[in-house]
Amino acid sequence: MEETMIGRGREAIEMIFDVDSVRENTIGAYQVEGEIGPGAVVGTARIEGQEVTFIANDAQAINPRFNVVYFGVIGLEEAYKMALTVYYTIEVDKDKPLEKKRPLVLIVDTPGNGPGKVEEIIGMNKATGSYQLALAEARKAGHPIIAMVIGRAISGAFLCHGLQADHILSLDKDFGTMIHVMPITSIARITKLDIERLEKLSEDNPVFAAGVDFFYRLGGVEEIVDKVENMKAAIKKHIAEVCQLKKNGRFDKLGPWGRGLLGEERGGRTSRKKVIQLMDTQYEAVIDKYISGMEH
Amino acid sequence: MLNWEKLQQLNFTDANARERAFGLVDKGSFTEFVSPRDKMSSPHLPVLGEAIEFDDGIVTGLGLLGSRPVFVISQEGKFIGGAIGEVGGAKMVKTIKLALQTYERVKKITPASYEKRLPAVIISFETGGVRLHEANAGLLAHAEVMDQIQDARGKIPIIAVIGSKVGCFGGMGFVAAATDIIVMSENGRLGLTGPEVIEQEMGKDEFDAANKALVFRTTGGKHKYIMQDCNFLVEDSVRAFRTQLKEIMNIPFPEIEKYRRIGSLQLVEEQLELVKSAVTIGPKDAQDMWKYYGNDNPQALADISPKEFLATVKRRERVI
Repeated sequence: MEETMIGRGREAIEMIFDVDSVRENTIGAYQVEGEIGPGAVVGTARIEGQEVTFIANDAQAINPRFNVVYFGVIGLEEAYKMALTVYYTIEVDKDKPLEKKRPLVLIVDTPGNGPGKVEEIIGMNKATGSYQLALAEARKAGHPIIAMVIGRAISGAFLCHGLQADHILSLDKDFGTMIHVMPITSIARITKLDIERLEKLSEDNPVFAAGVDFFYRLGGVEEIVDKVENMKAAIKKHIAEVCQLKKNGRFDKLGPWGRGLLGEERGGRTSRKKVIQLMDTQYEAVIDKYISGMEH
Repeated sequence: MLNWEKLQQLNFTDANARERAFGLVDKGSFTEFVSPRDKMSSPHLPVLGEAIEFDDGIVTGLGLLGSRPVFVISQEGKFIGGAIGEVGGAKMVKTIKLALQTYERVKKITPASYEKRLPAVIISFETGGVRLHEANAGLLAHAEVMDQIQDARGKIPIIAVIGSKVGCFGGMGFVAAATDIIVMSENGRLGLTGPEVIEQEMGKDEFDAANKALVFRTTGGKHKYIMQDCNFLVEDSVRAFRTQLKEIMNIPFPEIEKYRRIGSLQLVEEQLELVKSAVTIGPKDAQDMWKYYGNDNPQALADISPKEFLATVKRRERVI
């Protein structure tokens, strides 16, 4: 086993980016309010000289205004802070050509979105949704987005912070990285399914089983990184790959849709493709009826 | 299935996914894609000894609202709580993709007047989010749906319809938030973390999931309407939802963005102001927010009919 990176988001920032290059809360001319969302660390840094926006979880921080935020939980303020950071990034590069759009690097170590009464009263669904839409917009505008899972990437929090990236990388399971929706014991309790049966399924079914290796087979993780020292080079390499694909107009190979294609290649999600093909056929058979003869 | 006229009279709360799909669009106009006849069921449930459905709990297809081709996604709460797996997820994603494809097609055929025939997507939510039996596939499908919603921005409207028994929670809670327009009934419930999960994570003192009134005033249609988290509140019938959808079709497309709550820098700034006001107010209950927005007798509001509610309620004022 390697020493885990869980709870060490700020250290990861130091490991990944160039020495003395980190400017917290600064994105071009924009300044993110330092007070809000202490569970999220955002700013600008350089990776081998290239300027990027980074967004990470700070598992050591608590939010004095929202007590659900601790150990990396993404709360209302955190999610909006992350979304603002993305929109600022889009703004500062909005007049630049595609290949000059600065990359976003997401450093992922989060156990969940804030579960609480105030969160629901105000609408935590909007907060996490807004960050995802921001990332999707940035990705489609040409910013390369690389997510680096260093610790926990759990369920809705992974959807929020990670699954809208172009490419997702993860430290090897030897680092205690966790990618899943829910622990098996909780799944057994909620579904009332036999835990032994679930454990058997989790030995080899990538659609169900927890862990980095299964997400890799599913296309959910692009590449597994074996050493912390290699994170920097891996991120740099994937920024270049993503940038090249975007230059060639191959947005379809990136992001959530690209992960669907990668999953097919790796034998993960196999029903998905059948559904899509059948819908295409059935759509083509009737669509003219719905849109033809339209101008009388 | 009931004939179309009978479908209109159904309570929306009780209508199943197929009844909603057929009933929300014009009479006789709905064509189902990947219907039960195609037997596209989940391959992951049988290995767990679980029952399957030949539509995997999601009805998808195409209908009309007037001259507009309308792509419908309708979730069935009676099948594993409407949870999203690999097959159902793919059906959702592909439906939005087909709507976008149709947009390009319509624009090409009738460039001058395409807005009259602009496709729309309607999602009738009844779900708790990811299907745990095939959790990883469900999770990845959620990300794909969000990606498609962003693709549809500025092209076609995506409308959320929430009024079914299970409500709309988990990952689908933020999918709904990411749509352009949300229509709810007072029976509709919308949120991220479901009541049971809050209770389990934070304790019964924080949230008593068995307290129905508490659940409804925190996540129900009336609260969401006051908070501007849903755009329209309608009576609990298929007809009422359909009437509202037809009116939405008359909104000029450039206006649609104004109905959004998230999805731009300005909107995020507005939401952040709302979070800051929550810090100041420190609501112990959803009705503290109702009061804050000028509703002096919130309990009375909770008890009255939607019609009376709409006539008297005061809502959060939008900045944008």
